[in-house]
Amino acid sequence: MKKLIEVRNLNIAYAGPSGWTNVVQDVSFEIARGEAFGLVGESGCGKSTVAYRLLGYGTINSFVQTGEVLFDGVDLLKLGPASLTRLRGNRIALVPQNPTTSLSPGMRVGPQIREMIATHKALPDDTTMERRIVELFALVGLPDVGHRYPHELSGGQQQRVTIAMAVACNPDLLVLDEPTTGLDVTTQRQIIQLLSDLRARIGMAMLYVTHDLALLAQIANRVGVMYAGQLVEVAASDKLLSAPAHPYSRGLIASIPTMDGTDRQTRGLRGVLRRDQMSTGCKFEPRCDFATTACRTTPQALELIADARSVACMRWRDAATQQLPAVVAGPHGRTAARSERLLSVADLSLSYQRPSIVDKFLGRTTHSVVRDIDLELRAGEVVALVGESGSGKSTIARAISGRLPPRSGAITLEDGPLSPALDGRSAEHLRQIQYIFQNPDASLNPRSSIRSILERPLKHFGIPADGKTLETVLESVGLHAGYLDRIPDQLSGGERQRIAIARALLVNPKLLICDEILSALDVSVQARIVELLRSLKEKHDVAMLFISHDLAVVQQLADRVAVLYHGELMQMSETASLLTAPLHPYTEMLLEAAPSLRKDGHVSRPPATPTLKATPGIGCPFAGRCPRQPGSLCADTRPPIQETGSGFVRCHLPIDGLGRHARSPQHMRSPAVEDMRLQSL
Amino acid sequence: MTMTTSSLPSRFAWLDKGFWQTTPGPFRVGAIILIAHVLFAIAGAFWTPYGFAEMGAGLPLSGASLQHPMGLDQIGRDVFSRFMYGAHIVLLLSFAGTVLGMVAGTTLGLLSGYIGGWFDEITQRIVEAMISIPFLALALVMIIAAGPALAGEPVLIVFVVALVYAPRIARIARAAAMEIATREYVAVAELRGEGTWSIVFREILLNAANVLLVEFSLRLSYAPILIGALGFLGFGIRPPTPEWGLMISENRNLLIASPVTVFGPGLGLASLVIGFNLFTDGLSRMLGQRSVAGA
Repeated sequence: MKKLIEVRNLNIAYAGPSGWTNVVQDVSFEIARGEAFGLVGESGCGKSTVAYRLLGYGTINSFVQTGEVLFDGVDLLKLGPASLTRLRGNRIALVPQNPTTSLSPGMRVGPQIREMIATHKALPDDTTMERRIVELFALVGLPDVGHRYPHELSGGQQQRVTIAMAVACNPDLLVLDEPTTGLDVTTQRQIIQLLSDLRARIGMAMLYVTHDLALLAQIANRVGVMYAGQLVEVAASDKLLSAPAHPYSRGLIASIPTMDGTDRQTRGLRGVLRRDQMSTGCKFEPRCDFATTACRTTPQALELIADARSVACMRWRDAATQQLPAVVAGPHGRTAARSERLLSVADLSLSYQRPSIVDKFLGRTTHSVVRDIDLELRAGEVVALVGESGSGKSTIARAISGRLPPRSGAITLEDGPLSPALDGRSAEHLRQIQYIFQNPDASLNPRSSIRSILERPLKHFGIPADGKTLETVLESVGLHAGYLDRIPDQLSGGERQRIAIARALLVNPKLLICDEILSALDVSVQARIVELLRSLKEKHDVAMLFISHDLAVVQQLADRVAVLYHGELMQMSETASLLTAPLHPYTEMLLEAAPSLRKDGHVSRPPATPTLKATPGIGCPFAGRCPRQPGSLCADTRPPIQETGSGFVRCHLPIDGLGRHARSPQHMRSPAVEDMRLQSL
Repeated sequence: MTMTTSSLPSRFAWLDKGFWQTTPGPFRVGAIILIAHVLFAIAGAFWTPYGFAEMGAGLPLSGASLQHPMGLDQIGRDVFSRFMYGAHIVLLLSFAGTVLGMVAGTTLGLLSGYIGGWFDEITQRIVEAMISIPFLALALVMIIAAGPALAGEPVLIVFVVALVYAPRIARIARAAAMEIATREYVAVAELRGEGTWSIVFREILLNAANVLLVEFSLRLSYAPILIGALGFLGFGIRPPTPEWGLMISENRNLLIASPVTVFGPGLGLASLVIGFNLFTDGLSRMLGQRSVAGA
């Protein structure tokens, strides 16, 4: 195949307070016409920096030392601003990570696409601008949304718009910078599907930057693994995923939680990427299980080891032959569910709007975000709350923690009812429920030392503590006493999350509410936090309400799973039975959408009857999207709760029918869910 | 102030030389001017060539000479001695007034921003009403309301400066508090059941410190002007204490006969304000703030 773009010995350094930092070192790869190349690595490995260089774009404090980026034989790094402007958007286009901040909020999306075409005079002769824009929307599976503002579109639709904008001029190369990171699993699958589809149709090459190897398995032909600014392995994606050669790729793949039934002893990566702790030899040496003294001093360069496959490791043969520790099958450490009830939630309804006096007088009710939630947690049990964004997972957690007084319903903790509002709860109740937030950057006060962050709850609840207390708790989360005098800024994301966990554990809570605590972290770090939570659960006997959108993580940790859709519980089940026999159509859809490590050719289904809209508060909210609903019955009447062996399912279909369901034929390209949302706008 | 002292030890690294070299130019120039002012003020408080109220130190209105670099006023007082002695008065009054205004404004603003609701509404309407009155008019009203017994007392001037500034500072503090109140570490403290004061001073104050520090030095730079203006109008420090604004006022009819007598205090005020402004500008750049728009 002909090379479209070739990166040769690219070196990039960033200026910092302590001089230059080499962010990218000697990176070389090429992408052929129509090929999809994936770049993967942990955060801070320099993958985005490389991607932006392919657009000839660098931040002010970055500085290319050497290297060439040849696009069709022209070195982009030597081009002037004017010629770069001609190339960008026209022949090389970018799909940014966050569509919400990349689209101009004050401009309708149609004109934003028009701008792109007009700037590059890329309108085909036989069509008009309006027709071309509609055509582009159709290409990405959207109806004509040109007259809408970005905020009127969902995240997935916004990303479709940025993709439409990127392909508006029929570029040769599409650079994608984590385009699905902020999206739901189901939406993510639709975008991936759309991209492979576009590639097949338009024949453009793609550089796909991500930290998610499972995604690359679905879309990329070849994958480059980056570590600390260097490419450590380049291989075809199926080869890489089935037989990684470099120890780092191996660790990265081992860290990914999968749902393929085997309960792997995840032997992820230890440590984190620390630019200040680099050896002169192999950059990965400090974290490598196969490292020898020679590794520390000999720099490693990419070497061709097989056809179209290269690795930067002198011990790749040993690494490849030595298998990972044996797979441990079956459930482990699952505490037998005991009968003591810890928390129970009954008939919970929540709303962010407070009914006004007029509404109360007229007896009007406003729309509830969450309706009729019944949930029970036993002592020492982990219950996962799963659903797409906007399903009300965090809202329920807020109500249990007392930050959002419920509109109706009762929350009971062990001995007695919990006051709905925070003010009414006793210190003892506050102590027993601890909340861990999603983003560790925001949940630790940046101006306090770790010591004072940890000491504060002890003082507040009057828990006696000696010098050892803090050290012990730090050890239990895998840190040491040296962290006490640091401030949060000096810690990595994973370490910060450990501190947040330590802070919650210090006061001996009975219930931990973990609100998406893994989603801001790298895969390798995630795997270790999951490991930590598992051991904490055994040691401290603490119950957890674990909120997540990632079914694979849930599978590793949870005893029971509650599936939530649009504020209603769809299903409650023991983890094992949920994954083997999903029963509820929505659960099934979620499970199918989660990417596995093999190319699975998953095609998302379009909503079966997009016109069917559930009667608010009565019908099944999933009715319009459900591939198996028997008719308008679902939308108009309340689905009954059907008991199953380990929980319940809320569906009109009889359980026998749900269990024996054969997979429906898979549909081709789907404009999917979002059309439905659009029509309801 | 708590916000400067309770920062971590690493924040005191500004004493070493390497740090000095990385600071922005305006900060350096401003700092040098301010240090010169402080040294001059300290010297002036203990020693002056002539007594600041000593009449007949030389021939009145004889102009500048080596003995009297800023000339002599109408009743033969050495203007340079008065200028020297006045330096610490201006500095102390502006500093005390601004600190008091900071404490009041910050407390009010942070509480208002964090608590929100009706408390915020009422506080903000009062604050807006006070800001809408021109600061000099507000100051004069307050001085007149205080009555003749207090007129000319330094304490009154300090309170007037504080009261003029507190509402403006409160608005800045409120904005910062509203933003910080949405952070999750505040939610963590709330979930722990911490009280309002504890959250405001433990969690919010320190994180608003950057904004407040810049606001503090900005207010400090305008304080000499306010005090000078009050002195010029005769509502400031009681004569014969030589406050710079008062000196300009006393000598303004000598502008033709002996202009140096006005230039001295005028230049002093100007350089002090410029020094503060440069310092603030540099400081806000160092702390990563946008430059703050006018008074």
